[in-house]
Amino acid sequence: MLMNIFLFLILMMAFAMVAAKRLTALINGFRAQSFFLFLLMFMLAYRADSAELYIVAALLFLIKVILIPRLLRRMVKRIKVGEDLGLSVNPTVSIFAAIVLAYLAYAFTGMITGIPAFFVSISITLIGVFIMIFRMKALAQIVGLLVMENGMFLAAASVSGGMPFIVEIAIFFDVFLAVIILGIFVYKINSLFTHIDVDKLTELKG
Amino acid sequence: MEYLNISFSLLFDPLSLFFLAVIALVSVPSAVYSIGYLRGSYSRGGTILAWSLMVAFVLSMALVVTAGNAFLFLVAWELMSLLSYFLVVFDHKHEKSVRAGTIYIVMTHIGTAFITAAFLIIYKYAGSFDLSAFKQACLLMPDNVKNLVFIFLLIGFGTKAGIVPLHIWLPYAHPQAPSHISSIMSGVMIKTAIYGMVRFIIFILGVNSLWWGNLVLVLAVVSCLVGVIYALMEHDLKKLLAYHSVENIGIILLGVGASMVFIKMGNPVLAVFALCAGLYHLINHAVFKGLLFLGAGAVYKATGTRNMEDLGGLIKLMPWTAATFLVGAMAISALPPLNGFVSEWLTLQAFFLGALAVTGSYKIFLSLCAAMLALTGGLAASCFVKAFGVTFLAMPRSAHAREAKEVSLSMKSALVAMSIFTVMLGLAASLVIKVLVVVSGCATGVDTAGMNFTLNNFTLAPQAGTYLSVPLIALALIFVFGAAWALAGTGRKRVCEGKTWGCGYYNLDSRTEYTATAFSKPFRIAFSFFLLPYTKTEKIRESFYHVKSFKYEVFTTPVFRRYIYEPALNVIVKTAQAMRRIQPGSIHVYIAYIFITILALIIFMGRS
Repeated sequence: MLMNIFLFLILMMAFAMVAAKRLTALINGFRAQSFFLFLLMFMLAYRADSAELYIVAALLFLIKVILIPRLLRRMVKRIKVGEDLGLSVNPTVSIFAAIVLAYLAYAFTGMITGIPAFFVSISITLIGVFIMIFRMKALAQIVGLLVMENGMFLAAASVSGGMPFIVEIAIFFDVFLAVIILGIFVYKINSLFTHIDVDKLTELKG
Repeated sequence: MEYLNISFSLLFDPLSLFFLAVIALVSVPSAVYSIGYLRGSYSRGGTILAWSLMVAFVLSMALVVTAGNAFLFLVAWELMSLLSYFLVVFDHKHEKSVRAGTIYIVMTHIGTAFITAAFLIIYKYAGSFDLSAFKQACLLMPDNVKNLVFIFLLIGFGTKAGIVPLHIWLPYAHPQAPSHISSIMSGVMIKTAIYGMVRFIIFILGVNSLWWGNLVLVLAVVSCLVGVIYALMEHDLKKLLAYHSVENIGIILLGVGASMVFIKMGNPVLAVFALCAGLYHLINHAVFKGLLFLGAGAVYKATGTRNMEDLGGLIKLMPWTAATFLVGAMAISALPPLNGFVSEWLTLQAFFLGALAVTGSYKIFLSLCAAMLALTGGLAASCFVKAFGVTFLAMPRSAHAREAKEVSLSMKSALVAMSIFTVMLGLAASLVIKVLVVVSGCATGVDTAGMNFTLNNFTLAPQAGTYLSVPLIALALIFVFGAAWALAGTGRKRVCEGKTWGCGYYNLDSRTEYTATAFSKPFRIAFSFFLLPYTKTEKIRESFYHVKSFKYEVFTTPVFRRYIYEPALNVIVKTAQAMRRIQPGSIHVYIAYIFITILALIIFMGRS
């Protein structure tokens, strides 16, 4: 029961991100989603009484709830591009699209397994891609990727009962590093083009 | 993943051992030669790199011919292709090398793709990549699948062997590599493709229908003629040799194809004999083509040019190179008593015996093949008259040629060793045939215990009881030449010194010499239906009466490139340009492509 509530909240946060119009709101949405994911992991760790899961949950909290959002906020401040996300699809249509995606995920996961966590994980993975496609700012691409990663993490935790401990840890640092590197790219793009609108970067094709 | 359980077993049956011997026979002298060839031309690091690449290349070829597992074979094959690519582009500063390398790697990968496809089809029936399992599975395969596998293997190995029209890469890639590598590539690497054909088509797949052999024979005849005609038109010494590789692969395939025909006709003796002739020409070509490439490399090292029109007169400056090159040239022109004569004679015999054994129109087909082989031999001889005459005789045509010096000891010793092999393979013909009978018996699966072949299995008039033996011919030739020399030495001497090919005129310089272009003109006219020659003239006049300069150039149309490869390339480029429309350069669109694909997959999964 408690688990389903957390799952519901995770999914809701994904919808909230789809509806967000400003960068800060997007980052806050991601932070909240990660926090609920952390609560879920913590609860699983408590139930299984496993030290490894506690560590995973702690790392999740440290990296995804504290460090990455802080990094993203600093980026927003430093590059001074304004709060606007650059929506190419307005929030209402985006919400509808997200609902359709969630339905597709539901239909798809229903054929494989009835675990609700799996359904939520696939939904937020698809929603993550949706954010990557339909938001113009490079920062949104990073957040979209992170949302996808959350989905993958949840899928691994729900279907197989978590990946091997060492893999889990490795993925955390991977994600963290990815954010740092992507951040550097965003800075570079910003200093070169004085904007981070990805849809204007179409001159690079051969 | 049981299909990834590869046993790295090696196979050492007579067929593999024979090819290992061929590899060693050419690679060792080439390696010795490279000591002198690399010195002075490359930095220390470059020399080390060249050596390690060469050693790895030779080892990969050895692995190709001994692999006991099709998967291992493919890995070795790919390794061989890639290493040879790196060797082709070794002089990467030349734009030509990079271009040649690109053509080579594209063509060789097309070939590998076909081989891989053929192996996967067989694997579907065998359930294992082991060659013995392959052989078992091929017994159960339906006929049309067999035909498909045969075509794939023929295209795949044919690309590497350089049979026409898949030869397009060969005249670019072989000359561009350092000469000792050209020698190994032309002498040995293209032979691994013949190994592949014998191993996988004759040994494993088993000849299924008569048209397989016929197809191979037709391709072989075309390769012979096209190779030698293009070689006649070529004035780049190494490129000329590369075209001769196409021709000689054709001659080898004549033996292999005839063997396939005879297997299907149920004539095991002739099948063994024809394959024997083909393999004999294979080892001969490996040796004399290796020798010729090393000789051409020596000329290049000494003069810095490969263009025959700039050479000439080298026989006085580089006597060792000239003498050994002459041995190679005589061998490739199939002059007795050298080895090229023996194997072409055996191949001719196989065809004549075959023509006697069959009935109907097939007699004519086999006789025609023999006739074409004879024509090829004649054209090859004239080509090497040109190659040797223009390069080594007469007066130097440029400053490069005037300042040439004999090459170093390591290069000379390799040249001498290769010429000794060339002579020995001719003189010891009957011994070599005995070995080759065992090899071809192994390949065709025929018990050869009772078979006994000599040089003259066929005589036009059996009652005449003619006896042909290479040492005998050698003796006879030595006697004739000795007698002629002795006769010429006696008698009154009326010496009048004149310039070579000067026809008694005085004050001639190298500009008036016979050139390679002029020499090949009769052939250009005779084969104009195929070569499609055209000329370009350019006159610069000062006035109507005074032409300041006159430029005359003659070209031949590269038929295969113009009518097969360029249209194909155009289609590919056009398709690629059409495909570019879906690449707008926007990251969002690219992510959307991925996303749509995933969604489509999800929906597709949901439907089924």
